[in-house]
Amino acid sequence: MAMIEIQHITKKFGSFTAVNNLSLSIESGQLFGFLGPNGAGKTTTIKMLTGLYEPTSGHCFINGHDVHWTPLEAKRSFGYVPDQPFLYDKLSGREFLHFVGGLFGMPYESVKAKVDEVKDYFEIGSFMDKRAEEYSQGMKQRIVLSAALMHNPPVLIIDEPIVGLDPRSARLVKDVLKQKTKEGLTVFMSTHLLEVVEELCDRIAIIKNGRIIYEDVPAQRNGDLEEMFLELTK
Amino acid sequence: MRELLVVLNTRAQSFLKHAFEFRWQSLVQNLSSLLIFGGFTIAVFFISRSVTDYAMSQAHIGLFLFHRFLSMLLYVFFVTVNVGNMIVSFGTLYRSQEVGFLMSLPISHAKIFLIKFVDNFFYSSSTLTLIGLAVLLGYGSYFDMPWYFYFVVIFLVMLPFMLISGILAVTALMLLIRIGARIGFRLLLMLLVGAYGASVYAYFRITNPMALVEDVMKLWPNVNDYLGYLDPQFVKFLPNHWVAEFLYWSINGDPARAVPYLALLVLTMLGLIAVAGLMARKFYYESWLAVSNLQAAKNNSASKPPGLFRLDGKNLFSPKLDALMRRDFWLFFREPSQWLHLVLMFVLLLMFVVSVATMNIRFDSPGMETNAFLIVFLFNGFLVASICLRFIFPLVSLEGDAFWVIRSAPIVMNRLYWYKVLGSMGVVLALAETLTISSVFLFSQSVYLTTIAAIMMFFVVLTLVGTNVAAGGYFAVFKEKNPMRIASSQGASLTFLGSMVYLTFVSTLLVIPFNRYFQQSEFAGMATPHWMHWSFILIGLISMAIFFLSSFIGVKALRRSG
Repeated sequence: MAMIEIQHITKKFGSFTAVNNLSLSIESGQLFGFLGPNGAGKTTTIKMLTGLYEPTSGHCFINGHDVHWTPLEAKRSFGYVPDQPFLYDKLSGREFLHFVGGLFGMPYESVKAKVDEVKDYFEIGSFMDKRAEEYSQGMKQRIVLSAALMHNPPVLIIDEPIVGLDPRSARLVKDVLKQKTKEGLTVFMSTHLLEVVEELCDRIAIIKNGRIIYEDVPAQRNGDLEEMFLELTK
Repeated sequence: MRELLVVLNTRAQSFLKHAFEFRWQSLVQNLSSLLIFGGFTIAVFFISRSVTDYAMSQAHIGLFLFHRFLSMLLYVFFVTVNVGNMIVSFGTLYRSQEVGFLMSLPISHAKIFLIKFVDNFFYSSSTLTLIGLAVLLGYGSYFDMPWYFYFVVIFLVMLPFMLISGILAVTALMLLIRIGARIGFRLLLMLLVGAYGASVYAYFRITNPMALVEDVMKLWPNVNDYLGYLDPQFVKFLPNHWVAEFLYWSINGDPARAVPYLALLVLTMLGLIAVAGLMARKFYYESWLAVSNLQAAKNNSASKPPGLFRLDGKNLFSPKLDALMRRDFWLFFREPSQWLHLVLMFVLLLMFVVSVATMNIRFDSPGMETNAFLIVFLFNGFLVASICLRFIFPLVSLEGDAFWVIRSAPIVMNRLYWYKVLGSMGVVLALAETLTISSVFLFSQSVYLTTIAAIMMFFVVLTLVGTNVAAGGYFAVFKEKNPMRIASSQGASLTFLGSMVYLTFVSTLLVIPFNRYFQQSEFAGMATPHWMHWSFILIGLISMAIFFLSSFIGVKALRRSG
């Protein structure tokens, strides 16, 4: 069954078409890599997928729910990590996780248990009681990732997960993504880092000027991904 | 000097680009703000002219007394500009990210101070300047003053007057932060609030307006003579007195006695700028570091907050409602500019209620009684409008860059909107009703009037909270983190002016019924004011119409924002 289904979505900003008639289908348990040069339409696609933008035309389905017609059901089915992980400066990481748990309607005991779980998973225990004002990009990223997994969603939508992370944090995130995918999580990941794609992704698509120009399964592909990416996107 | 010009030039260019950027939405916003600002200015102009006309031609209070009242008003204006600058400057001079960036550049600290002071002054004083100028124009036009009078008053009298107030505020803040680092900021804050309260109390205690009126009226009909010997000595050192004296002598056509006051204002302003520059060179960086250190220490302390409202505490309501309420609670009380301003507003409210309670005024006519009652009611409305502007208008904008968390969560935007409206309404209503019931009852001693005022205040709160949440969503500035800057943005000023128009409308509808009520009380025993209720019903209906219309706009704005 397709966990994420994008049907002919187009997004126009005035006369500029950011995403043009894009369709994709991602199966349950897949780690999907969404590649493209800057300004290709990756973040716009993700924002439509998460309900932050309304498509000019077309539909997005998550776990069978139309993001724009049944947004609440769709939103309960995914966790989202944006490219800029803005937090509330005046709240601590722990408070932020409790806040997100509350927004997803999780009862107190479940939130508490889940916070303890993600605390170990993402090694955030040492700073999670400090206010977010003092966090580095990597710390924020780990808190936001933890928040995205708080409600055990079947889908994770993640925009540039490794940017700004130190090598240890990057390893941690990659391991979590691998582990969670094995457990059945479907991941839609946008990234610039080709080595991450090669290491993690079951499937990739390259977007340029709002259109998918290439789709592939990295494991079956012969040749250098970087060379091919540069060739396709020049 | 060169770097100062570069920074100011960049800011001016950025402002001009923003101001002249063509977008339909900004065009509509600019046109509507022009209309409302223009209308408001014209209304203030006519009110000022009528009040001057009334005081001079009907009440015959004389030029001297009139200018002493003007001096008192200017004192309140001076303190308001001062408080506004002090509060806003804490955000602009010490907490803004731009200061951190400028500190990393080879620019002297005194210049950064100057750049941010100018920024701060225009942000916190623009609406007050507009009101001040409209009052001045109305006053000047009554006395048929020539065009250059306005030019001189605007640039050489009012601007220095306001700058004196602003510079005193930021210079004092610089020193207070140094003191606060030693004695603790909580104690300092209490002392500061006490000092402001004491200064206003002492001023009116010493100038004693009631005694002044009696003293001047004993000299009737020579009330236009200069009676400076009645002034207490200390007021002669105050800038508001200098402005009043300049105006008095200008109106009397005696420039030789007016100009020294103008010189005094300009020289004091220049002197204070020089002193502030010197002090900034020595203390600004130090005080900025003190605030940064304090902030860092606070942020790095891993202590959990005590109490019922802990975000990681057990739920009291549904998880969603709980999460939103607790988040808002902590975001509010962890932001010093929020609770600090709230404390100051509480002190002002308290002072107002105490002043009303201790007033001992005899009314000679039902007309005077009506005016006095409406002034008390209107002032309550004005306070509620100020609270709404300062704390309710920024609610949507303060969702800020982190709004993605809510927008990507299963939260219905309509519910989020109503949570904001009803949550704020509960708080504002409790405050407004306490204020209204205590002030109106203490003032009028009438249960009937108090009940009516309480009902009218409910509609005022309904309208003002509704329009402020809605307009806050429509004019949302998600990039701005400073709530005071959000509350002094163009959209906020527009909303505030709209609130003033609404309050004027409500008061106008109340004039005739209350005047008749007081007439009947005076001449025909107990009043039977059943006919008054039509005005109240009209106010109620119009208020509800505004509330629902603004809610419709607000929900739409919230859905499309973020």
